[in-house]
Amino acid sequence: MNKIETKAFIQEKFAEYYRLNSASIDPPSSLANREFAFLLFKERMMLRHKGVKDAEDLRTLMKTVVPSDVYYSSAHYEKPEEEMEAKGWLGADLVFDIDADHIPTPCGKQHDTWICNNCGATGRGTPPERCPICKMQKFDDKSWLCEICLESAKRETMKLIDVLTRDFGLSPQEMTVAFSGHRGYHVHVEDEVVQTLDQMARKEIVDYMVGIGLEPTFHGLENGLGPNLEDAGWRGRIAKGTYEFLLSTNAEQLEEMGLKKSLVNSLINQRDKVLESWKSRGPWRTKGVGSEGWKKILQKAIENQSVKIDTVVTTDIHRLIRLTNTLHGKTGLKKIRVSASDIERFDPLKNAIAFKEGRISLVVLDAPEFTLGDERYGPYKNVEVELPSAAALFLLCKGAAQVKEEH
Amino acid sequence: MLEVKIDDLANSDLEPILIRAEARVEEAILSNNIETRSPKDDVEISSFPIAVMLVAASANSHLKRRYALAEAKRVSNLLKDESEEKIAAVARNFNWNIKTVKFNVGTLTYNFALSFPHFLRNAATIQDAKWKLINRLMLNGEVYLTKNEASRLLQEEVRRYIEGKLNTEVGTLPQNVMERVERLKRLSNEIRGKLQSEEIPKEVMTDAFPPCIRELRKSALAGRHMSHVGRFTLTSFLINSGMTVENVIECFRPASDFSERMTRYQVEHIAGGRGSRTKYIPPKCDTLRTHGICPGMDETCTRIHHPLTYYKRKLRTIRTAAETPTVPRE
Repeated sequence: MNKIETKAFIQEKFAEYYRLNSASIDPPSSLANREFAFLLFKERMMLRHKGVKDAEDLRTLMKTVVPSDVYYSSAHYEKPEEEMEAKGWLGADLVFDIDADHIPTPCGKQHDTWICNNCGATGRGTPPERCPICKMQKFDDKSWLCEICLESAKRETMKLIDVLTRDFGLSPQEMTVAFSGHRGYHVHVEDEVVQTLDQMARKEIVDYMVGIGLEPTFHGLENGLGPNLEDAGWRGRIAKGTYEFLLSTNAEQLEEMGLKKSLVNSLINQRDKVLESWKSRGPWRTKGVGSEGWKKILQKAIENQSVKIDTVVTTDIHRLIRLTNTLHGKTGLKKIRVSASDIERFDPLKNAIAFKEGRISLVVLDAPEFTLGDERYGPYKNVEVELPSAAALFLLCKGAAQVKEEH
Repeated sequence: MLEVKIDDLANSDLEPILIRAEARVEEAILSNNIETRSPKDDVEISSFPIAVMLVAASANSHLKRRYALAEAKRVSNLLKDESEEKIAAVARNFNWNIKTVKFNVGTLTYNFALSFPHFLRNAATIQDAKWKLINRLMLNGEVYLTKNEASRLLQEEVRRYIEGKLNTEVGTLPQNVMERVERLKRLSNEIRGKLQSEEIPKEVMTDAFPPCIRELRKSALAGRHMSHVGRFTLTSFLINSGMTVENVIECFRPASDFSERMTRYQVEHIAGGRGSRTKYIPPKCDTLRTHGICPGMDETCTRIHHPLTYYKRKLRTIRTAAETPTVPRE
C-alpha cells in the first residue's frame, strides 16, 4: 500500500475503535463553555471552534468525524463557537504538560533521528547545531519513544504533583493526571481559584516549577547561613539539591563548572565533613567556598530540583488539550487517566494500549527497538512482519511502516 | 460617598472641597504621590470622590493611571501603621483569603498567610525579584508576608479598584468644574511630554538590538527551527523597531518549512493589519526568561525590563557616541 492508502487504513482502524469504545469518552467539565477541535485525517487540517452539547453529541461526533486527534480548550468561553476575538474568555484550567522533549533523558534520545535538509546526512539523537557534513543548520527530525524517556517524564510528573501538593496546597483529588498517549503526561487543575489567573500569574507558577529567577538570598543564603534539609518549599529544595549534588559530583565536573582548583580540592577532600555538616547548620560555612562558588553549585541544585514542564502550555490561557480516552494520531495509543497517588506503578506502554485484538501484516521501513505491552519488537529494516494490532498501528502512525498489500 | 450632587459643585460653599480635590490630582501628576492633606477632615474625606470624578471626566488614560497609583500608594503607606487585624480586614474587603499569623523564619517575622491566587493577582505585576513567587515562602497554598509586604500588596489591589472607579461614565459637569478638569489634563500632558523622551526613528539599527533579538534573528537567517514564542518575539520586535512587513518576511525565508503566505499572514497579524487590529509588542524580559529565549544579559540588560526599552536606550548611546543629529531620516 502507498502512503495515502496506509492513512485510510489507519483511519478505518480508528473508526472501528470509536464505534466500539465511544462510551468510554467522557466530556470535560463545563462542557457548554469549551471549544473543541478535530484534526482531520485526510485534509490534515484542524476543524476548530466546535461546540458540543452533551456526552452523546460528543460520542456521535467521534464516530462520524473520526479525527486523527481531538482536543478541547483548557479555557471556558461564553461563546465557544465564535472566532477567537468574540469568544468571551471566562477562565481557564491550570494545565501542565510534561514531555520527554523537554527533559534531558539518560537514553540520550538515541532512538530519534534527524536528516539534514541540505545534504541529506542523517544522525541519531537530537539534531546537532550544524550538520557535520555541510555545516548547514536545517534539519527534519523524527521522534520515537522508549521506556527510559517515559520513565523520565513520569519522574518529572511525580515531582510536579509533589510541588502542587506541598507548596500549592492542592489535594490529589483536585488534580487530574493523564498519560498523553505519546511522550508525556498532562496535569490539570480545575479548581475555582485558579480559573481566572491571567498569563502573568501563570508565568509566575511556571517560574516556580522550572526554578527561573530564584535568588538564594531570599531563601536564607547569606553570611555562612543557608537553608536546611527539612525546610519547606524552595528553601528545602535548595538544600536537597545541594546535598545530592555534593554527594554525587566529582572533581572533573566541578572544574567544568568553572570553580577554582583550590575550591574543588576543598569540596572533594572534605566531602565527609560537608555531608556530616547537614546534621547541624549545613555546609554553608565550608572553608574556601565563597558566594560565587555557592552561586554555581546552587545553579546545579536548582536544576536538580526543578520540574521540567513545557513553559508555553501553562502560560497559554487559550490552549487546546487532547481529550482523555481518545487516540493519539502519532502512536495509536490512547490518552489515559492516571491516579495521582498511584502514578509510580503506572506503566503507559501497557495501560495506554487501545487496539487489543487481531494482527496486521506490515512492511516496516525503518524502526528502532521498542516495547509495547509485555513484548519487545524490532529493530526492523525493510522487512515484512505480522504484528499484534497495537504494535502494528504504532509503526503505521509513526510513519515507519506500510500495510502489506493483500493478494 | 457623601451627598454631593453634581450641580452643587457650582455652589461656592463647596469650593474648598473642589480646590482640595484638584490639589490631590495635581500632586499625583507632579510627584506621583499624595502626601499632603487638608486640615479639615470633612474637606479631606469629601475631596476624594470629587477628585475621582475630575479624573474620570478627563477621559485621559495616562492621567487615570497616574492618579490611581498615587492614591493607592497613599493608602498603602497609611496601612503600614495600622494593626495586623485592620490590614487583614481591609484585605478581606477585597475578598482576599488571608489570615494573620506569627511565624519566624531566620531573621524575618511573617504576620500574614495569603492564598497563592490572591498573591499572584497582585504581585505578578511588581517588577522586583522579591515579589517573584519562587522567591517567597509558600506552604500549603499560602504565601507568607510581613506587615509591610501585605500593605504593599494591597496597594496593587487598591490601584486597580480606583482605576475601575475612574473608568465610569461621568455626566455633564458645571463650567467651573470642567475648567479644573481641563487644567489638570494640560498639566498631565505637559509632564508626560517630558517623560516620553524620544520616539523610535524610522531607520532600523540592528547594532542596537538586545542580545535576545540578535540571537533570534541569527537563528531565523540561518533557517534554524524556532519556537512560536521565538518567532512572535522576533516579529513583534522588528515591527516595533520600524521594519516593514516585507523586510520582516524576508528574515524568515531561509526556514526549511517557509511558506510566504503563512508568514505574511502571521506578520501582518502581529503588525496589527489583520483580525483584532491590535499591534503587538514583544514580551518583556521576564517572560522571555521563562520561555528560555533570553541568552543571558549584557550590561544594558541589567538596567531594563523590556527589549524595546533596551533598543531605545542603546540607540541613544549610539547616537550620542556618533554625535550625529537626532533628526530621524524620512
